[in-house]
Amino acid sequence: MAPKAGGASSVSFSPPELVSYFLDNGLEVVLSSERSSPTVGVGVFYRAGFRLEPEGRTGFAHLFEHLMFQGTRHVPKPHFGNLINSAGGMLNGFTRHDYTAYFEVLPASALEMACFLEGDRMSSLDLNEETLRNQVDVVEEEVRGNVLNQPYGGFSWLWLSQYAYATYPNCHNFYGEFADLEAATVEDARDFYRTWYGPGNATLVLTGDFDVDEARKLVDLHLGQVAAREQPPTPVLDEPFPTARREFHHQDPLAPTAQMAVGYPTAPFGHEDHLALSLAARILTDGRSSRLQRALVQGRELLLHVGGGPHYPIGDSFEFLGPALFTFEATPRPGVTTATALDALDQELARFAEEGPTHEEVERAKRRELSAYHANNDSRLGRLRELGVMAAIHRRPQLVDELPGSYELVGAEDIARAARSWLKQSRSTVLHWEPGDQPPARA
Amino acid sequence: MSKLPAADQTLLEGVPQPGPVPPLRIGRVSQTTLSNGVAVMVVPRPSVPRLEFRLSLPAGAALGPSAAASELLAMGIPLGTDSMDQAELSERIQDLGGSLQVHQDEDRLFLHAAALSAAEEDLYRLLAEVVQEPAFPAPDLTTEKAKLLDGLRMARATAQFPAAETLQGLIYGSHPYGRRAPSDSAVRGTSRQALLDLHRLTFTPRGAQITVVGAVEPRRTMALLRRAFSAWSGPRRVPAVPAVRPLRAEEVNFIPRPDSVQTVVMMGVSGPSQGHPDHLPLAIATAVLGGGFTSRMMNNLREDKGYTYSPHARLENHLRDGFAVASMEVRNEVTGAAFAELLHELARLCTTDVTAAEMETTKSYMAGSRVIMLQTQAGLASALAQVRARGLDHRYLEQYSSQLQRTTASEVREAAARYLAPTAMTTVMVGDEAASLEISALAPMRIRRATRRRH
Repeated sequence: MAPKAGGASSVSFSPPELVSYFLDNGLEVVLSSERSSPTVGVGVFYRAGFRLEPEGRTGFAHLFEHLMFQGTRHVPKPHFGNLINSAGGMLNGFTRHDYTAYFEVLPASALEMACFLEGDRMSSLDLNEETLRNQVDVVEEEVRGNVLNQPYGGFSWLWLSQYAYATYPNCHNFYGEFADLEAATVEDARDFYRTWYGPGNATLVLTGDFDVDEARKLVDLHLGQVAAREQPPTPVLDEPFPTARREFHHQDPLAPTAQMAVGYPTAPFGHEDHLALSLAARILTDGRSSRLQRALVQGRELLLHVGGGPHYPIGDSFEFLGPALFTFEATPRPGVTTATALDALDQELARFAEEGPTHEEVERAKRRELSAYHANNDSRLGRLRELGVMAAIHRRPQLVDELPGSYELVGAEDIARAARSWLKQSRSTVLHWEPGDQPPARA
Repeated sequence: MSKLPAADQTLLEGVPQPGPVPPLRIGRVSQTTLSNGVAVMVVPRPSVPRLEFRLSLPAGAALGPSAAASELLAMGIPLGTDSMDQAELSERIQDLGGSLQVHQDEDRLFLHAAALSAAEEDLYRLLAEVVQEPAFPAPDLTTEKAKLLDGLRMARATAQFPAAETLQGLIYGSHPYGRRAPSDSAVRGTSRQALLDLHRLTFTPRGAQITVVGAVEPRRTMALLRRAFSAWSGPRRVPAVPAVRPLRAEEVNFIPRPDSVQTVVMMGVSGPSQGHPDHLPLAIATAVLGGGFTSRMMNNLREDKGYTYSPHARLENHLRDGFAVASMEVRNEVTGAAFAELLHELARLCTTDVTAAEMETTKSYMAGSRVIMLQTQAGLASALAQVRARGLDHRYLEQYSSQLQRTTASEVREAAARYLAPTAMTTVMVGDEAASLEISALAPMRIRRATRRRH
């Protein structure tokens, strides 16, 4: 049917102001001012994620994230959180494959305090035995609660990569083996901090209600004082694509029924197929009108749920450096095996790659991207996350505002070509997640 | 007991001081009631070229003849209408740059929709059809039933779901808030006709509230909504949730879950609803106990003892009461020690005034998070829809911060003593039976074996 909202490009709305630069100590700074409500977002993205934690220290990047909230020489535990909450702000952090982010959203009047606190924990974190042991306990409880005590715990983000990859950076347990967590020392934490948490390996993002010139002064004052550190090495992450499909069976004593995940190496950032695969994900899995829901949930009645996309389910097309998977997750209906579900998925992907999407499907996907772009801009945290990833991972914060226009240049044939080139059975890894008691045995 | 110091900013030289939390400004609020009774509220917020739409109806999970019918009613709305199937409906929404979801709490059903603001008129026309003429097509309904059964199987395999279900059952008894999740046979046995009947009963304009927030012009929006929704008709009688008569179980109800590596500990109580004078003092008390990063549960049980990852307490708002619940997941060997600490924290809250610094931090945190959550079109639309559903309006949100400021430490202690005393709360645990030995030394306990439910 004809779109009624006008073409995606016909909606014009000027993006918030955006400025980016580097401090002398190497810190990248991104400022995006938008003054419709009296709040600010403050985020620091460190280029240090799961994939660079040392062998024998699985889970260390995430454990270290916890230590960043444990106090500094100037602001001892538990004042960091108290100060943010007393100012009316909220805070959190999250660790991903190739970066770890820390953020606060607060009333605009607390901007200077937040800049001070981020500069302070970038330069004088207090790493000690007591807080380390305490947070090892806390992280183990997190793993128990999210993985060991939970049906489908960690499915599929934590497990598929352990089967799909062959080299340590990509295939280890990102949450951490308990033996490794317990073996971590204060010296490990100091090394990790010194190596990866310097200003030259970080991006500061401010979004929201501030004057750009005043914000620059605050940033200079509180983050310019952080001493430069040696630039860390660039991690080596690439590994060859698989040459034949591999299938693994993983048993979960708590799962009542089987589920399935399939991962295909996806196109890296900058590749001509990269944006086309984002749109392919929308067309294939986004909503009840998507290809796979229509064909497999509604039409053939084989699945109850299907979802997928680049770096799904804990990221998107932009949140990674090095290899990443275009993943599908599927829940078969009762009585349907994961093998049957896999066959059906293969058939639908083959048809999609051959025929390509319709013009309407492509336009709809672009309009969804545009709408998502605006929704992100409406939230301090949403815009902060988009800018932080584009700056820290790809060194191009401006991309956030260029994306809706870039998607306009992708056509149906590009999407079909991308599907043919990347969603190849011969490169895929299949994880059959089944009820049962057998411990996992990796290939 | 926590040995960590309370927040004392005077210790911290050189930390720049923030200003006060800014007041929440909702802006221009336009309201009207359509001739058929639909209550409309429109708030312009042109931060981005989108709009958020909420429609709330007296079709909550606690209403209706059965839990199965109520849940399937909500799941059946996106299945389309007589003129378009679910895929066409989804296409048409996506063509507007939009989305459509159905949420349900105990009291109300909420339609959450959004679109690019250029598509405003088309969105309302589409939603009016979705609301008035759902088709609940039989084959698609069968699929939704299978999804619901799968979701229930998954939920029952967790430790949290049986804990919450049992806790609510013990507190609310035969009141609809205590209703258990539907059995498999009830789900299978719910007919299309039952959903059509329930729809006719509950999707009535007299009980409907529409909230729109976004890049809109209120007068035009009102006119478009009137055009789209004025023809909607339905029964005059609006279904109502009965008053709550809460119960209490004296013994800890322990549900064995063999080989569980953690115990879920949940304590709950029925408290005041929003607008009651005890509500804000109790909200502050639960936040001091377990809200945010700086609560007592967080400081003591996590940051000091390392017993748990995400201990928390909150006050959930129902139409007829407020449900206060404290909850944590702890490894088996510290289940008893953690429970003892939680009892200690509850007792302390009931007997000793919260310190001035904690009062300050908690009030600022509560007021500030409200300002932050309500800065987006989506956040504001949802918050307005929720307070309206409970008989309040935007002024409740605007006055929230000053009402917080007026609340005193002794009011907080009194509210805690009334509702959060260990002798007032009901406790449920789910975990390996070995962990129950630790509990029986602390409190009278009853092992509650899972009754095999007929499917």
